[in-house]
Amino acid sequence: MSTRQPRFNQQVLLDTTPLPDSVPRVTEVGASSAPLLSASFFIGARCGAYNDDYMKCKEDAHGRGEIDCMKEGRKVTRCAASVLDDINKNCLEEFRKHWQCLDNNNQQLWHCRRPEQLLNKCVFDKLGLEKKIPGVPDNETPVHLRKRQIFSHNISSIREDERQT
Amino acid sequence: MEHSAIFRQALRPPPSPIHTSLTTVSTMAQALPPTGGYEPIQYKRNIPARGFRPSYYLAAMGIIMTYGLYRAGQGIREHNELAREKMWSRIHLIPMLQAEEDRDLVRRQWADKVRERELTGGEAKVYNSDRFVRPTYSISPSKTTKE
Repeated sequence: MSTRQPRFNQQVLLDTTPLPDSVPRVTEVGASSAPLLSASFFIGARCGAYNDDYMKCKEDAHGRGEIDCMKEGRKVTRCAASVLDDINKNCLEEFRKHWQCLDNNNQQLWHCRRPEQLLNKCVFDKLGLEKKIPGVPDNETPVHLRKRQIFSHNISSIREDERQT
Repeated sequence: MEHSAIFRQALRPPPSPIHTSLTTVSTMAQALPPTGGYEPIQYKRNIPARGFRPSYYLAAMGIIMTYGLYRAGQGIREHNELAREKMWSRIHLIPMLQAEEDRDLVRRQWADKVRERELTGGEAKVYNSDRFVRPTYSISPSKTTKE
């Protein structure tokens, strides 16, 4: 993520000093890339406003965003953590299946449509978060809802009866 | 052009008398074509043409190409949609990752400042600006590993 890559690092530079007490504590999300990718659209669905707020704050801060926007950043992190927490509580089975599928398939979403659709259904039923891709042309089915994935090597859609129940 | 042709004709030497005499005297027997002409030569091979008419092959190729391009087009469209999906999944994640990294950078910078104050008794202002400057070099604390 960092825009400036570390140079001349000959040893791991660990600085364990915590933030001062005046700054409220946040537990970092701490998820690896596959669960994050799996949950990304739900994070976007619930935390879109916080995310936009944070990015706007950073843009308006003119280079001081790192310090000035810590409050917004905490909100973003807490919100994302809450989404992951809720998914873990309510749809752990489906969630695990999906991100493990992603891990086994080069983190390419189109190979894991079946676990993804099961997860989407569970999350929508229990948490009310829906995966929506902005900017899809009106006359096309969004790619994550299609029955057949052209590039996939998996049988990758849920059956109609599974969709209904 | 015309002038030069006339000029060349004028320069040509007159026909020699020996030549004229030879052509008039000789009466050699010559092989002549048979009466009624030669038999027709069979220069065409009399083999029946194999396969379908060429136009059928052209049409078949047209159908195969049309189908292939149609499928390729479908693939490209789906690829675009997949790219859109990937892009948005990252757009949703970036603020969270950025917030985490920014917090970490601020924590390190503040720790550096405290350390500097303890060591030198004051803060040297490095940049003539109050922007947050991402560190190029990190000052390593005395303890470089976790417990």
